[in-house]
Amino acid sequence: MKLVLDRYAYLNSPLHRWQQGYKLVGLLSLIFAFAFIQNVWLLPIMILITCILFRLSKIPISFLIKRLRYPSWFILAVIAFLPFISGSTPIFQWGYLIIREEGCWDALLISVRFFCILTLSLVMFGTAPFLSSIKAMRSLGLPRVIVDMTLLSYRYLEELGEMLTTMQRAMRLRGFQAKSLNRRTLKVFAQLTGSILVRSYDRSLRIYQAMILRGYGSQGSSQKNYWKFEFSHNNSSLWGTIMAVLTAIFLVVLETILPSF
Amino acid sequence: MHIPDGFIPPNICLAGYALTGGVTWYSLRQINRDHYIQANIPKASLLTAAFFVASLIHIPIPPTSVHLILNGLMGTVLGYYAFPAILIGLFFQAVMFQHGGMSTLGVNALILGAPSIAAYHLFRQRDRLRGEKQLLTSILSFASGAGSLLLSAVMFAILLVTNISPDMDINAERTAIFISLGGYSIQAIVEGVFTVMLISFLEKVKPELLKS
Repeated sequence: MKLVLDRYAYLNSPLHRWQQGYKLVGLLSLIFAFAFIQNVWLLPIMILITCILFRLSKIPISFLIKRLRYPSWFILAVIAFLPFISGSTPIFQWGYLIIREEGCWDALLISVRFFCILTLSLVMFGTAPFLSSIKAMRSLGLPRVIVDMTLLSYRYLEELGEMLTTMQRAMRLRGFQAKSLNRRTLKVFAQLTGSILVRSYDRSLRIYQAMILRGYGSQGSSQKNYWKFEFSHNNSSLWGTIMAVLTAIFLVVLETILPSF
Repeated sequence: MHIPDGFIPPNICLAGYALTGGVTWYSLRQINRDHYIQANIPKASLLTAAFFVASLIHIPIPPTSVHLILNGLMGTVLGYYAFPAILIGLFFQAVMFQHGGMSTLGVNALILGAPSIAAYHLFRQRDRLRGEKQLLTSILSFASGAGSLLLSAVMFAILLVTNISPDMDINAERTAIFISLGGYSIQAIVEGVFTVMLISFLEKVKPELLKS
């Protein structure tokens, strides 16, 4: 299991230079404004904003396509059904199958909203190291327990993924093949999961002892605010956020005043 | 069982965030009452990562395969740490694999997290109820695993189907909900049996995992 989130986090682009704390506020506003859109006429504006931001981020399009591959199957399944089951105005009929106009528009709206929000999320977390994102979220008020848990989980995610791969390889080498569902197969999978949990638990005890030795939880370490992200007075970052928030407000206002389609 | 971005209206997304904020606050309040919070955070974190990895295991149900949700099991093992753990797991999935989404993170956390807390309380009855301990553990493990998945499936199907399109016919909505719940019922039984086997394994190999 390879976590490739930080692969393009160190490029040099306006989006990479945009401080992560400001970027989170700006792009999250846009994401929620996009989720608010119900009017089909606003879709081109959404696509344009997404394209501009993605282009500015300098993230390769192949990376985006790769990330879209899995969720796209779910989207395809939904938008393939919606024109048949949603709406009342038929536009095409073939036997019992009726394609309805409202369903087609709903499918278009959902798929465009989905792809735009997903691209913005990728830009938001793909243009900065994951650690900076967590620090920025801590500064925005994320509780310390959640921050600590997120950082520790993230640190060991890849290692535990490797452990699972090794254990599954060992099972295959010993002749285990999961082709059908029966009591034995389920028991083997339960023992595999149990072994991962037991190993993680044992490891967490050693990690805790190592953390204690390095001063985890002591008065001094908690006062350092090591994880605190500083919102510096960076004018371009601030202006970027102001522009993003204003664009989000503009989209919501347009959605409210434009007649529904 | 993740609602992707753009599928549900923003008022539901915001309500999901508000409710998740409330449940997270309550869970953190319970966690802060823990005398061993400092020692338990690394344990909960590693187990969060382990559950995340375990959810990638695919169980064959011919002609397809399903991946485990394990929210009931997370509740029984992690207690109140399960809700933040699920929130973190969903955040990782949204950011790393584009499953779910940032706008629907609150709703998804509630769908999977609230039943895990219910599973925790259900499994805790093991210490209170009288009877044959092994049988009681098996029944409560099955109820925690299958029940929490079924509860999540009901919330997921109702939220998704009733909000995906305003033009959808009520009968079509009902049919879609029943079809999806039919599929999830089979998975709930599998996950219930899986939870029984896993809890039995943990009781033999590392019983303190179920008591910590």
